[in-house]
Amino acid sequence: MTDFFIWFWTVMIFASIAWYALLLFYVGIKGGYEIIVMARTLSKRSDAEDSSAPSEP
Amino acid sequence: MTVSPIDWAIIVIYLLGCIVAGVWMRRYIRGVEDFAVAGREMDVNLGIASLAATEMGLVTVMYTAEMGFSSGPAGATVGVLMAAAMLVVGMTGFVIKPLRDTGVITIPELFEKRFGKRIRWLAGLVVILGGVLNMGIFLRLGGDFLVHITGMNPDYLQWMMTFLLGIVLLYTVLGGMLSVLVTDYLQFLVMGLGLVVTSVLVIWGINRATFEPRFIWPEMKQEFIEANDVGKRFDKERAKQFKEEQEEWAKEVNESAKTIKEDKGTQAAEQFVAAKQKERIEVFKDIERELASEYVLVSKEKPKEGQTKVSAAEAHTMGNPFNPFTSKKLGWGYVIWMAITQIAVVTTWQTMISRVLSAKDSKTAGKVYRRTAFYFVGRFALPGLWGAAAFLYFCNQGGLPPGIDGLKAMPAFLNTVLPVGLLGLLIAAMLAAEMSTDSGYLLTWATVIYNDLISPCLRRPLSPKGKLFTIRAMVLAIGLFLLFWGLWYEIPGRAWDYLAVTGNIYLASLFTLLVGALYWRGANRWGAGTAIILGTLGPTTFLIVNAIVKDPARQIKPEIAGFAAFGLAFAGMIVGSLLGRALGRAGTNENTVEETTQ
Repeated sequence: MTDFFIWFWTVMIFASIAWYALLLFYVGIKGGYEIIVMARTLSKRSDAEDSSAPSEP
Repeated sequence: MTVSPIDWAIIVIYLLGCIVAGVWMRRYIRGVEDFAVAGREMDVNLGIASLAATEMGLVTVMYTAEMGFSSGPAGATVGVLMAAAMLVVGMTGFVIKPLRDTGVITIPELFEKRFGKRIRWLAGLVVILGGVLNMGIFLRLGGDFLVHITGMNPDYLQWMMTFLLGIVLLYTVLGGMLSVLVTDYLQFLVMGLGLVVTSVLVIWGINRATFEPRFIWPEMKQEFIEANDVGKRFDKERAKQFKEEQEEWAKEVNESAKTIKEDKGTQAAEQFVAAKQKERIEVFKDIERELASEYVLVSKEKPKEGQTKVSAAEAHTMGNPFNPFTSKKLGWGYVIWMAITQIAVVTTWQTMISRVLSAKDSKTAGKVYRRTAFYFVGRFALPGLWGAAAFLYFCNQGGLPPGIDGLKAMPAFLNTVLPVGLLGLLIAAMLAAEMSTDSGYLLTWATVIYNDLISPCLRRPLSPKGKLFTIRAMVLAIGLFLLFWGLWYEIPGRAWDYLAVTGNIYLASLFTLLVGALYWRGANRWGAGTAIILGTLGPTTFLIVNAIVKDPARQIKPEIAGFAAFGLAFAGMIVGSLLGRALGRAGTNENTVEETTQ
């Protein structure tokens, strides 16, 4: 039984390192792009809100 | 080793980057929805980065490393259970799908739809007590790490953490969830890099002076097994000697007590037994110390003035480092209890749920959970690996240095093995871990206070500006509270028990209410109220009983208290709801929230 757990934790530790390294690049690139898209969307939304707001008398 | 100018440069650049990015996002804040849930514009990968960064705090790194120190790689069992829970919830949409579909900002807000305003307020109070009080430990534990890894004077701990919290407050107050998301993203990158590089260095055992890599994992595995064997021999020998001592003591004391009782009365006999018991404890400690120096990792701390040799020594053993079920520090009960707790955590912990509620839709939320799941294995396994490696390192050094215990062993170990530049990267990574967690938590709890405690009490809703101002003020207020409660004020020993209790009340009550609200048509406000009351009863009983009963063997185990909390809360929901229905005072909405929102 212990042999199984030694094998299990070895896989878990090495897979974690590999997964973190992979996410670092994948999420790094995709997440950065999503921030730009989010900022653009929010910017457009606030511009639209500004233009639809009633003007001061 | 002290931090070099290169290390400091890395740290300063990282901190400046966070401040600029965080403050920049302020321009997009137009209302409470932008501030609290980023205008619901968060996509999958940003969600993964934010969730991962928020849930990996410096406090997590410290306690998972301590679990690795005391239980070896098996200390990461909780991480595997949490990953499994995330995956199941992400695949099935259990709780998170209907919750996101309701469009609420916080969990208690959902309860109003089903159980009414009072239950929303009560649940908000439970969330705040469980959340904010627990957050109190973050700053000090995080500070401990930074002090030991930089080799800084511990007197500066409070000032350093105050400065760090000041930066976090600055960008969180200004930019809310938008700043949190962007800084979380930066922190995810820095933290991920630090975690990967440090773990590789630990496994490859690179010599700091020569930079020669050597794959030492096979040796480490062997040393874990040996550490376990030595620990077992220590336990066996200790039990044997304790038993012999106990038998001899009982025989001698019983005879003498009998004589004293006959000569001087019962009171004198009782006093005699109490004195002998004190002596016996000292004898046990002597036995333990004698054995510890022979078998296990012992603190090298010299006794202080007025302190006996015994009280200065601290023996450390490693439980079964691979099998969590046979480990004396974990075991079956603990593993099952943690499995249940993790399902409750991933479905009710407000900081995790706030990412679900910030997601574009429930499909995105599910994706974030599925793809982040395995991250939680590493969240426990990698710092656990550092802690376990610290155990082996100090074993080979002949003991722990003065002032270092199981909690501080990992940063002390990394300080001695990491080369220049990488130390700076690791410190920046750990600052990132601390800052992302603090900002996410500050915002989440402030939103709950505004949304579920203040807002329901107002006769007229605040103006949009007033709402924003109130949440920002709440973020600031929680930050100041944390500075006092967690940093400048020394929390008394028993207070830690209160934190565990409030955490248990939170998980048991909220999980029951959520499941009832979303999936049981028969649930009503009577059931919800009873669930909160009974969910509070279990952990409170645990606290009181363990304060009265001094013998550790007879105290209630945490897992029993936890099971009881969940059992009582669910029983309360069922019995209370049925009773409410029978009395004809069931409450508000009889449809599940899922049906209401369809």
